[in-house]
Parts: sequence; C-alpha cells; structure tokens
Amino acid sequence: MAAGHKINFVTGKGGVGKSVFAAALALAKAQLGEKVLLVEIGESSYYQDFFGLSHVGHAPSASGIGFDVALWSGETSLREYILYYLKLEKILSLFFENNVMRSLINVAPGLNEIAILGKITSGIRKVGPPLEYDRIVVDCYATGHAMALFKAPRGMMEAIPFGPMGRHSTEMYNTIKNPEICSYHIVTLLEEMPVVESLELGAAIFSELAVQPQILSNKTLHPPVGAESLNKLIQDPKFSDVDEFAKYLKASLERQDKYLLEILAATGQSSIADLPLIFSSDAREIVGRCADREFVRTL
Amino acid sequence: MICTGSGGVGKTTISAGLAIRAAELGLKVLVLTVDPAQRLMTSLGLKPGSDEISQVVAPQLTGQVFAGIVQSKKIFDDFILTHSGNDEIVKRIFNNRLYQQLSTTLSGSQEFTALEKLLQEYESEKYDLIILDTPPTKHALDFFMAPRRIMNLFQDSITKWFAFPDMAPKGFISGLVYRGTRTVFKSLETLTGAQFIEELIDFFGAIKSIQKVLRDRSELVEKLLRDPKTHFILITSFDAAKLEEAKNMQKQFAKLSYRLDAVIINRAFPLWMPPVQTASLVHEQNDYAQVLKFYAEFRNYYSERYQLYEKFAAEIESKVQIFRIPDYGQDVCGLDDLLSLSERLASAQSERAH
Repeated sequence: MAAGHKINFVTGKGGVGKSVFAAALALAKAQLGEKVLLVEIGESSYYQDFFGLSHVGHAPSASGIGFDVALWSGETSLREYILYYLKLEKILSLFFENNVMRSLINVAPGLNEIAILGKITSGIRKVGPPLEYDRIVVDCYATGHAMALFKAPRGMMEAIPFGPMGRHSTEMYNTIKNPEICSYHIVTLLEEMPVVESLELGAAIFSELAVQPQILSNKTLHPPVGAESLNKLIQDPKFSDVDEFAKYLKASLERQDKYLLEILAATGQSSIADLPLIFSSDAREIVGRCADREFVRTL
Repeated sequence: MICTGSGGVGKTTISAGLAIRAAELGLKVLVLTVDPAQRLMTSLGLKPGSDEISQVVAPQLTGQVFAGIVQSKKIFDDFILTHSGNDEIVKRIFNNRLYQQLSTTLSGSQEFTALEKLLQEYESEKYDLIILDTPPTKHALDFFMAPRRIMNLFQDSITKWFAFPDMAPKGFISGLVYRGTRTVFKSLETLTGAQFIEELIDFFGAIKSIQKVLRDRSELVEKLLRDPKTHFILITSFDAAKLEEAKNMQKQFAKLSYRLDAVIINRAFPLWMPPVQTASLVHEQNDYAQVLKFYAEFRNYYSERYQLYEKFAAEIESKVQIFRIPDYGQDVCGLDDLLSLSERLASAQSERAH
C-alpha cells in the first residue's frame, strides 16, 4: 500500500491554525481506517507539547490517538539520504560535524527544501527506507517558505539537470504536481493579512504545479443571531449590558463576510470549507471536533 | 525598541500603534517594518517595493512619525555596492546564484538586513526613537539566530577554505585537513553538482573584500542590541503554546544579555460582563438570551486561558511589564484605527503588582 499513498500539504500564514487542521485531517483519516503519518517540518516539534508526547523525532512514533507523528528537518532528511542513497556513512560526520559544511547546507540554494521534499515523497518514489502509510499529512511551512519548498524541485532540475540530483528532483516535481497523489490545503482566518497571503499562495501554487489548492477558513465565528438582530440589541437601551459584546460580534461578522466574499471572488469557488472557533483549550478535544467535520472526513 | 514575536500575532500593527503613541508624546519616531498589510501601508504613507522613508501625515500628533519598509535585497545590494571596492567584484557577487539566494527572503538574510537597517538609522541620529518590527519567523527567537548563521558563512576560515580549492597545503596536519575537506567537497559535488561548487568558490573569492566590514558591522549591531537604550518588546497571542514560547524567550534573552522590558498580549478577549448564569436562560430563545449564552461560552473559554496567563505572569520576571490589548474584531488599518490603538496602548496598565 505504501507506494500508493496520498500526501496532503497543509499551509497558511503563521498563527492561523495550520497544525490543528493538519492533525484533524490525520485523525479523521485514521478514524476511517487509514494508516496515517502526520509530519511536521523543522527543528523543533510543535506536536510534542500539543499532544503531551515524550518525544517526536525523525523516526515516526505513535501520537496516541490513532496515527503516527514525525519531525523532519533538512538536516535529518539529508543525513538519511546520504546514508541510504549514497551509502557514504564515513563522510556523514565530516558533513555534519564540520561548521563550514553546516553553514553551507543552510544556505545552499534549495538543498534543505529538496532534502525535506525528497523525504516526503520518498515512499512514492521508492527511495530510502519504506514508508508504510496510506497517507502522509504534512504540517508545512507558513506561506512564503512553503512556496520555496514547492518551487525547489523545479529550481534544482533547471540548475542541475543531470546526475542523481537531477533525476531525484524531476521525480519530486512529477510527484508534487500529480493531483492523484498530492493535494494542497491553505488554512486562513477571515482577516486581511491571512486572506491576502492565502490568495497569493494559492495562485503561486497553481502557477507552479497546475494544482488548485483548497482554501479553508479556521476559527470562524457563528453567532446565534444575525447582524440585524445584533443591531437591534445594540440600539435597544434595555440590553445595554450586551452592547459591547454585540458590537464585537457584529464587527467580526462584517469582517468575516467581507473576506469570505473576497476568497470566493478570487477562487471562483461557491463556498469554502470552514472550521468554527471551538471553545476549548484542550488540544485533543479541538482536533477531535475538527476531525468530525464532514468535509474533513471526505477530503 | 525592538518588537519581536512569532508569526501572526500582530507585531506590525502593534509596532505602528506604539509609534503613533510615542509621537503623541512629542517624539520624533521612525517605525521600520518588514511586511505590512496593504492598507496599513497606505495609512503609514508607504509604497510597496519602495525603501524610502516617508512621514505619516497626522496633524493631530505633537511629534512626528516616519515609516519605512525593510527591503532586504536592496539593503544587501547596497551593502555590497558600498563596501566591496570595485565594480568587477560587485558584478561577480550580483551574478552569483548563491548570493541571489542569500539576498532573498530566505536563509536569514531578512533578519540580517533588518538589523543593518536599524543600525544605519540609529547612526543617522535623526530620530528620538526607532521601532523595529521584526520579520515573521516560526519562533520569535529565530530572529536573533538567523544573522549568526549568515555571519558563520563569512568567517575567515570558510573563505580560506574556498579560496584555493585546488592547491594542496604543505605540512602533515594541514594536509590531513585538506584531504578531509576534499572528501566533503567531493560528496557535496555528488549531491549538488559541479556547477554549484564552482559558484561557491566564486562567491567566497568575491566576498573576501567585505568580510571585515561585515564583521565590524555585526559587532556594532550586537553592541546596539545590548545597549541600555535598546528595549525589547515581545508580542504574543493569548494561547498556551505562544505563552510558553514567551517564557523560553525570556530565558534566552537573559543569556544573550538583551533586556526584555515588556510582553504585550495581543487580541486578548475583553471580559465585558460578569459571569452569566446560563441555567435560567436554557429555554429562552430570544435574541438577547442567545447572545448572552454565546457570551457565556466565550467567557468560559477565555477564563480558562486566563488561568494559563496567570501562571505565565507568575513565571515571568517581575521587572518585565505585561500588558493585554483586547481584540475588537476589526482589522487595524486606517490612521484612525491606529490612533485608537494608540489610545488603548496608552491606557493599558501594566498588570504587574509591582
């Protein structure tokens, strides 16, 4: 099954709730019987504290709620690549314990990105250790950096068309633009900056990979009464105690509608998938309730 | 005043609000921002893509507010132009793929250039106060780590390493080191191709001339960051993970001898009403009761968070001031919004007992 797995990339502006949605998607699919790996990118784990786990590292480990988690960085992925592909165990330490090399790997154009994307697509491409999963959900970088990640294979292909690097980046490129395998989800709040960045990123992904990403809104407020009723409450002195709160709700509703329309106009979609604000501070409960949403289960 | 915080917490808006507030107090202020929202940019009189510093038109202010955008590539390019000596080298550097990568927004150059810009404006002595809104990073502390990564690249040893890649050094030890580095080179070549190695060698050959000035500048930046006149403000949102990050940040700051003066918790939920007894409202379907019940949900939710916050406040050093800025459900974009944000900042009382 490993060779046939699906990959979901989740991105969005910083602070919008990417990680919560990624975890919810992983959970929903696991509940439907799939073997799921939730991957975070970078040097430090968010899910470790989030799910109260003792450790999240490069090797997948159980999240305790039905799927596995792993933390992949450019360095750990590159190490693995060198080890499994080039079989150059001896030079590994030279590579990574050498300050010069370290700084070079950090700035070498696209190398980190290629290493990470290489790891993410390694199961599909049958390179390196097998990834026995039905689905990989990637809690990706925030908008700007995510685009650098998606662009890296083509950049590398053009720079180095031959040799193993050229071959690998071509395979990666073909994998990430295959809609049968990869889908892209941009999480946004219905606020100015997140929406602007999401629309820009959506257009950039489409022009790079010809795949239409899904934009979904998070923490949407659904007040029990509409703007008109709120107005009445605000105007009626009898209800002055809820005045400020009603004004807050009204302002939030107006803002949400405005940005919702902006997204619909820009994407041509007729509606957008929506995760409501969930009144809970418990990570598992929030993820569980998001995973229950119909659209998450059918993604 | 350096405003730090991880992505999405409202650094830019708060920075602009603080600038307006300082001008209300009569100061001549410069706010340097990295990636402002379109409408915030307009109200600050900024043009996209331009690195010009412009004055905010606001006659109601006693002082003056100037605003500028940190254009990373432009600052990097100017730095090379000013310090590299001759046109030939400038051309070589500008055409180098590694430089092109370095000078774009990735790999820490935005952080590096933001601090260089801060230093330049500080040296100009034109302002009473400079507020730097730091670039978005996943973690607030990344901002201070990134320039070091760049600096590592410009160390003497690296440049030497790349300066004569084909010349075997004499002597036993250097011969050993040389053979080791050759092995690394060879495998790097396998990974990235010969062309990349050529560019590397070319790059390090070309930047030799700016190495010293770059080191000198970063020493000055470091000195400025540790200066008693420099204040750090951490802006964070009202949730557990971010508050935890703020706590770590304070520890790291102490290690670096930076002064964290205040934590601003942005977009905290304002508790407008006392707790609502919802039991009596269960069967009420009118709008008022519905809104009250909804408020009760909000209030419970944020009260839980308030406990997290209290725990946080107890663990933060008492000399660090803590302010909470309430969320009003609106984007802050026009000058009027900024003025009212300034008012909110001015009326925010530090919540410390001391």
